[in-house]
Formats: sequence, C-alpha cells, structure tokens
Amino acid sequence: MIVRMVVAGVLLCLGSLSVLAADGKLEAEEEQAFKQAAALVDPSLVRIETVGGLEQVGEVLLGTGPTSGVIVSEDGYIISSSFNFVSKPASILVTLADGRRFAAKQIANDKLRLLTLLKIDAAGVPPARPAPRGDVRVGQWAIAMGRTFDLTTPSISVGIVSAVNRIWGKAIQTDAKTSPVNYGGALVDIEGRVLGVIAPLSPAGNGETAGVEWYDGGIGFAIPLEDVYASLDRLKSGTDLLPGLLGISFAGGPSTNVPVIVDRVRYNSPAQQAGLKTNDRIVEADGEKIARVAQLKHVLGRKYGGDSVTLGVQRGDQSLSMELALVGELIPYEIPYLGILPKREASTEPGVGVRFVFPDSPAEKAGLGRGDRVVKYNGADVADTRALTDLVGRGRPGDTVKLTCLQAGKQAVLEITLTTLPETIVGELSAEIIEKPVADQAVEKPAGEKPAEPAKTGRFTDDLAGHDHSYWAYVPEGYNPAAAYGLMVWIHPGGDTMEATMIKQWATICERRGIILVGPKADQVARWVPGEAKFVEGLVAHMREKYTIDPQRIFVHSHGSGGPMACLLATRHREIFRGLMLAGAPLQGQVGDNEPEFRQQFFFVCGEDDKALATVKKTVEFLRKVKFPASLTTVKGLGAKYSANPEIDEIGRWADCLDRI
Amino acid sequence: MGTESMKQRLLQTCLFILTICVGSNAHAQSGVESIAAVSPKVVKIFGAGGGQKLHAYGSGFLVSPNGHIVTVWSHILDGDTVNVVLHDGRRYQGKVLGAEPPLDMAVLKIEAENLPYFDLAETPSTVGSVGPGTRVLAFSNAFKVATGDEPVTVMHGVISAKTSLAARRGSFESPYTGPVYVVDAITNNSGAAGGVLTTRDGRLLGMLGKELRNTQTNTWLNYVMPISELKETIDQIVSGNFSKRRNPDDEDSPGKMRPRRYDAVDFGIVTIPDVLNRTPAYIDRILPGSQAEKVGLLPNDLILFAGDNLVQSCKLLREDLGRLEANDVLKLVVRRGDTLISVEVVAPRKGDE
Repeated sequence: MIVRMVVAGVLLCLGSLSVLAADGKLEAEEEQAFKQAAALVDPSLVRIETVGGLEQVGEVLLGTGPTSGVIVSEDGYIISSSFNFVSKPASILVTLADGRRFAAKQIANDKLRLLTLLKIDAAGVPPARPAPRGDVRVGQWAIAMGRTFDLTTPSISVGIVSAVNRIWGKAIQTDAKTSPVNYGGALVDIEGRVLGVIAPLSPAGNGETAGVEWYDGGIGFAIPLEDVYASLDRLKSGTDLLPGLLGISFAGGPSTNVPVIVDRVRYNSPAQQAGLKTNDRIVEADGEKIARVAQLKHVLGRKYGGDSVTLGVQRGDQSLSMELALVGELIPYEIPYLGILPKREASTEPGVGVRFVFPDSPAEKAGLGRGDRVVKYNGADVADTRALTDLVGRGRPGDTVKLTCLQAGKQAVLEITLTTLPETIVGELSAEIIEKPVADQAVEKPAGEKPAEPAKTGRFTDDLAGHDHSYWAYVPEGYNPAAAYGLMVWIHPGGDTMEATMIKQWATICERRGIILVGPKADQVARWVPGEAKFVEGLVAHMREKYTIDPQRIFVHSHGSGGPMACLLATRHREIFRGLMLAGAPLQGQVGDNEPEFRQQFFFVCGEDDKALATVKKTVEFLRKVKFPASLTTVKGLGAKYSANPEIDEIGRWADCLDRI
Repeated sequence: MGTESMKQRLLQTCLFILTICVGSNAHAQSGVESIAAVSPKVVKIFGAGGGQKLHAYGSGFLVSPNGHIVTVWSHILDGDTVNVVLHDGRRYQGKVLGAEPPLDMAVLKIEAENLPYFDLAETPSTVGSVGPGTRVLAFSNAFKVATGDEPVTVMHGVISAKTSLAARRGSFESPYTGPVYVVDAITNNSGAAGGVLTTRDGRLLGMLGKELRNTQTNTWLNYVMPISELKETIDQIVSGNFSKRRNPDDEDSPGKMRPRRYDAVDFGIVTIPDVLNRTPAYIDRILPGSQAEKVGLLPNDLILFAGDNLVQSCKLLREDLGRLEANDVLKLVVRRGDTLISVEVVAPRKGDE
C-alpha cells in the first residue's frame, strides 16, 4: 500500500516535470519553425512606398508609411492590398528583399478581392509558393508577414487560421495581427508556403478601407494565394476584375437566412437574359444544393464579372437548369413613368383614383383623365396606389402596358408606352383638398379608454424623448388625421436653425399641400455631427407615430452647409427618405444604385451667383447618368442665400409630386 | 527479497529518474518556469497623476539586490517620492536616483535588501539571436490590474520586428529615438511602460515603452527599448557616476526651428506649385546653366529620394534640402517614365557665409 502511494507520488511528480520539459522543447522548436517559415517567404516579400496622394478616405486617415507586397511572377508582377493605394498616389516604388529599388506601374485592380497588381521591370525575382487551398485547416499556425518596419527582415506576427472561406468564400481568417503594417504582405503556413495576401476586409462593408477598424483586433483576413494565381492572367491583361452580378433581388429582402426566391429581375441583367422570373426558386448553383440565400452568396461571392454559373431553378413543378454569364456592371435601373398622381384616399372603390394627369405624359397621350380609376394593370387587379406603383416599377421605360380604367363609370382598356420620370417640375398643380376634421366625426372609443390627446398643430417646439435634442415643427392648422400628409425634414445649415424664415416661407404651402414641416436642431447649432442621424431618424419615427404620414412623401430639405448632413440622411436611410431637396448645396457621399425598392427623387435649387453652382450641376449630371430622377432650377441674381418665391412654391409642387407614378 | 529492500530499490529508481528530468529541464526551460523566476523582479509603481487622462501607476524592474529599480521617465515621478509595491505585497517609498529623459528612463531606489533582480552584467552577450519570430514574454502592471501581493501581468508573443524610432519627420513622437523591438502582442497600455520583455527562458531583453502612435500607419506601436541601449546609463546612475548628457538629438528634433539654408531653386530646380498637402515633387522647370541642368534633370521628373529619405511631397523636399550644409553632396533619385535615375548635386556655398 505504502509502496503504491510512493510510486504514484513520484510518477505524478515525474509526469508534471516531463511535461514542463517537453513544453520548453516544443516552444523552442516552434519558435525555430516560425523563423524558418518566415525565412522561406522573405525573398518574395517586397516593400512598397508611395508618393503624393490623398490624406484621408472616408473616415480613415491614411498613413504615409511603407506597405508590403508579394511577388507572383518571375518577370516582376507583384500583388498587394488595394488599401495601400486608396490614396491614389502619384508614384509607386518597390524595394526587393535584396535592396534593389524599382519604379512600379499599377496594372489592374481586383475589385472583388480588393487586390492590386503592380509590375516592376525586373527579371528572375522569386514568386511566392502558394499553400494549396484544400490543405488549409482551422487551427494551424499562420504567420503574418510585412516588410514595413525593417527592410532587411520582414515583421512577424504569429497566430492561427481562425476560419476558411470567410467573406463569401473569399478569405482565410486569422488571429495573427493584421494592420497597415502588413496589409499586402503574406500570411504564411509553418512550412513557409503563402496561405494568402493580407488585406483588410469586412463582411459588412465593401470598400478598400472597410475592415481597417479591426486592425490588430484578432480578426484579420488574407486572400488565398491560389485564387490570386488563378485570376492572375486576367489581371495581367490590364483590365480591372469586378464582382460578378446576377441582377436579381430576393423575396426576403436583405436577409440571407431565407429561401432563394427571386423577387425582381433587373432589366438587361444576366438573370433576365437567361430567363429567370419572379417567384423562381434557385435550388442549385454549380452543382451545390442551395436552400438559403447565404449559400448562393458563397458560390457567387468568389466569381467575377465574365465568370459563369449554372443554376438549378424550380418554377412551379418545372425544374430548369440555366447557365448565366455574370457581369461586372449592371445597367442602372430607371423608374418607369405613367404620368399620373394618385388620389390620396382611403377608398373602398377598386383600383386607384387619378388625381392629376401630367401634361405630355404617356397617360395623357393615352387619354387618361382626372377622376378616372385604374383598376387593372396588364390584366392583373390593382388593389391600391402602392400596388400600382410596384407594378409599374417592375417594368422598364419603353414597355407598352395595358391599363384597364373606369372612365365615367365605363370600363376602357388603354395602351400606354411607359417613359421615365421627367426632370421638369410641373408648372401648375392644384392642391388636393383636405377636408377639415369635424369634431363629432371622432371615432367612438370603447368605454374605459381615454380619448387620445389631439395631435398638436401649428408651430411648436419640443424635446424628443430618449435623445438629448430638441426640434421645432409646423403642422397645418387644418390637420386631419384621416388624410395622409407629406413630411419635410428641415436640416438647418451650420450656425442658424432658420426657424423663423422657414415658417414664414413655408406655412401657407404646408397648409395648402398637406405637408408637415419638422426642424431637428443639432446639439451644437454650429454644425451637425454624423452621429446625430440617429436623432433625426428617431424624430421621423416619432412624427410618423403622432401624425398620419404618407411614407412616399417623406423628404429631406436643406440649404448650404446643412447639405452634407442632409445627404448623409438621404443616402444612408433610403428606406425612410423618398426625396432630397437641396438649396445651394451639392450632393455628397455615395448614393448607391437606383433600386425599385428605394424610389428616391432629387431636386436642387441653386443661385447663378452661388459658388456651389458648378458642383451642383456636376452632381445633377452624375445622378442622371446613374438614372436617378434629378431636377435642377437655377436662379438669376441669387448668391448663396436661401431661395425665396417662386422657388419655394416650386419645391412645394415637387414635394407634392413625390408619389407620382 | 524483503518488501523493505524492494521499496528502497523502487524509491532509488524513482529518484534517479527524477534527477535526470530536472537536469534535462534546465536546457529547455519552459515559459511557465521562466515566469515564476521573472515575476518577482518586476514591481508596481504608484505616483503622481490620476487626472482624467494621466494614469498614476506604472511598472518597473529591479536591477540590484538592494533596491535599484529601472522605470520609464514619466509624470508619475513628478512627486518627491513614489510608492513601490513588490510582487509579495511589500511596500516601499521610492526616490528618483537619476533620470535620462532622452532615453525615456529613470532609476529609483528603495531601501531594501536581498531582493530578486535582473543581473545586467549577464544580459548583453545572450541576446544576439533575438529577432523576428523569437518568442517573448512581457511583464507589466498594465491598467494596474495587479494590486498588493499580486504579481504583475504576463503576456506572450513573438518579436515582430526590429526597427528604429527615428525622429525624422515626426513619425514617432517619442523622446527615445534609438533601436527598438516591436512586439507581436498588445504590450504597451496604460501603466505598462517600465515593465520588461524577456525571452521565453526568462532572459531580459528590454523595457516596455509608453503608448505610442505610429503616424506612418496610424496604428498603435508596441515597442520595447533594448536593455543594451539603457545599460550604460543604468550602471552610471546606480554607481553614482552619472552626469546628464546634452541631448545629441536636440538639433535634429522636429520641434526645433532652424533656418532653412537651401531650397530647390539653389540647385536650379523649380517644382510644381505646392497646392495639396501631399503635392508630389515633380520638376516643373530647370533653370538654364544650373547644376540640375548639368546633371541632366528634366522637367516632369519626379523627385523620389533625397539622400536616403523618401520624398513624399514638395513639403518634405523643402525640409530635406533645408537641412543641408554648404558643400554637402546630395544624391537625388528621380523617376522618369518607369525608370529611376540617380544624380548627385552639391550644396553651393552661399554669399552670406
């Protein structure tokens, strides 16, 4: 017994000591392996320096320091992260591991994987050896290398492979530290083979600087070098590679955890050319079974414009197979146009009443008149305004459609060729009459329930609960909750809320056209900060809760230095704002693609003596090029001041037409 | 054979194996053992500060058995004394014995004996093979997580790079401008400065620096000042033979304004108008009969290097040329199309000299 205890004790002691000894040895051997792996890759890793260029892109301040690249062919092609060139440098320099220095040319960009190919005039340089994609295992060592700190020895960060096939199949994820110190450098396995090229990526964003905020954060990415080699010849030819697009949207909206049911098929897109139709269900892609949108994105996420994909499609009982050639750029969507304003009514009658027919519009030419009702569109019943807007939005300018209408009680079928939303603003537009609410019309509430507090009308100031901000508002005195109102969100310019001016200029128009005016105030009236978008968003939600507001007619209006904040709201919250009206300010920021789900219309008024005019004109041109409806009115003799009539009246008419079809 | 003798034989065998194990162990000491040995040599320091932005705590390490402690030179030492707390909770008043701001370093003294310490006499010869990939351990009281009798925090990582905190163009705004180890671990946080970096087997490599932003990449830098750079000064302060050096870098420090002696035009070069923050240094015109014309520079050449310095903008070119002295030879590298061309020009003697 005693013997057994002694032996056990000694063995225990022995065991723990030998583990420590083995640990020390293992640690030393692993360290040796890191160094050897790095030494193998060293000659293929270059330093990149740039001259000139921007200081800041978006919110990311760009460094001036050197970055890294990986040699991919003996004749001097080098791949690097596009992040290293977002500053659009005037000149690029490459220094090899042996100290030789070369002027580099930017050959092409891979905009799917966010890589840039460079070329130097060198021969016999050592290309990096790729690790086979299939060999990469989660948990294996991954060493991140860059050549920024020291020219003679690359920097090393040691971690593991955290995941494979990240960011829709494009990237290997690692917990080795990745940052501008090694973006463009190599992620290396323990055998000294290159797993991938280190690049900032983000599952959410898709610009060159997306993901930089995660630097040194334990989440880093590398683009598999094998994939780089696979697309190298195409990049060498000098054309940029773009992400491959199908041109469909899914029934589940932006969610990826839903079945792949086709909602819209964009005009002239690969999907349309292959014959995909609304309600088709995609069940297979390149031989892989597809149940959810996420799986399809995994297959498509690695493909370029020009690549093809074979889709298995279920249409009713039919099983179809179609091959599609993806494109890099889709032809922009253009909102088709009938030329009517619908009645804003909660009618029990079928279809959509016509409030107004625009002069020279397709509707007028086909003989549609005020007071008519549209009951069918291409044979399908039209339930309400929303349904008609949606049906028309699914067509394209040039399409001829059949409208079934009730004209003076009689049914007529009109053939109408759709055009696109005109840029001119209608000169004469009588307002829709909103009846005054009658006191005894109030809906009777069941006993015990308190009568709702009547919504405030006229001019008032208030604080928004939950936000440390105040706002002012003007609600038409004749407000009738039974009618739907437009909502104008006034983003004041820096330093002046312009409350008095706005009330003075707008009160009568608001009354006439049924527009509620709300003026959020920046915490520091001197300037808006982007974070205050949350407050404005909350304010819109609050107003929609208190008042009857037509979602088709919510728009942002601003002047001068309020422009950037107004643009930020309109471009980031396309689901809320249907229009953007800027007086004396250009569009700023990215508008995204015109999409039927997010109908947006733009209107600019600018003084001819305003310095902003040139940029305003440019932004209007740009918007028209990408097929957004954009109107522009220039005012003789006006400088940078806020407009007066007749422009205010025109803005009122524009706002009153936001629900045009 | 009796049970007693069997027992004895067994015990002997076991002890023998044990001895072998312990013996072999010394050659490949594990991180766990190193940490046990190093931790008691690192101390927690509490001193001045404590405002909203200035933390009032830091780290230091013992370099003698009788209480000499090396730490960073910082606002924590602004008071007459600081509180030093050892790994076992013993608390002492520490006095600043000497400081060398250009090295960002100070030596404190506490009145104590027989303390565990790093023997600096042993260190320099043993760290030659240390470089990128070398496994390291960092010890510090970052964020003052350790209090009282708790040892400081240990982090592991590898040496990421060796580089220099060159003061040129204010890439790093640190008073220390010598060589450093960059560490692949987030070692430099509030209160970590003054801690130590050791090898996996516990050999002292250097002192953790302060929090520092690398303005070239807009990232935080985790750096360590090698002990070899500090050793001489530490020895001098400890032995009482220290006299403050004049900072040799004073003249070059970016804060000091010096008259700009030379301009591009002194060499016959007119660059394009400097309108952007990073206007590239393109040559607009070459003055006839000038040095630039003689060495073959042409309009539209882009100046990329002045000496060893990358010229990223017209502004930086002016700084580089401004630093020249009469008769200095300056190598310029320009890009013409896709080739790089090197030329040499000499700073002319100016009339007023």
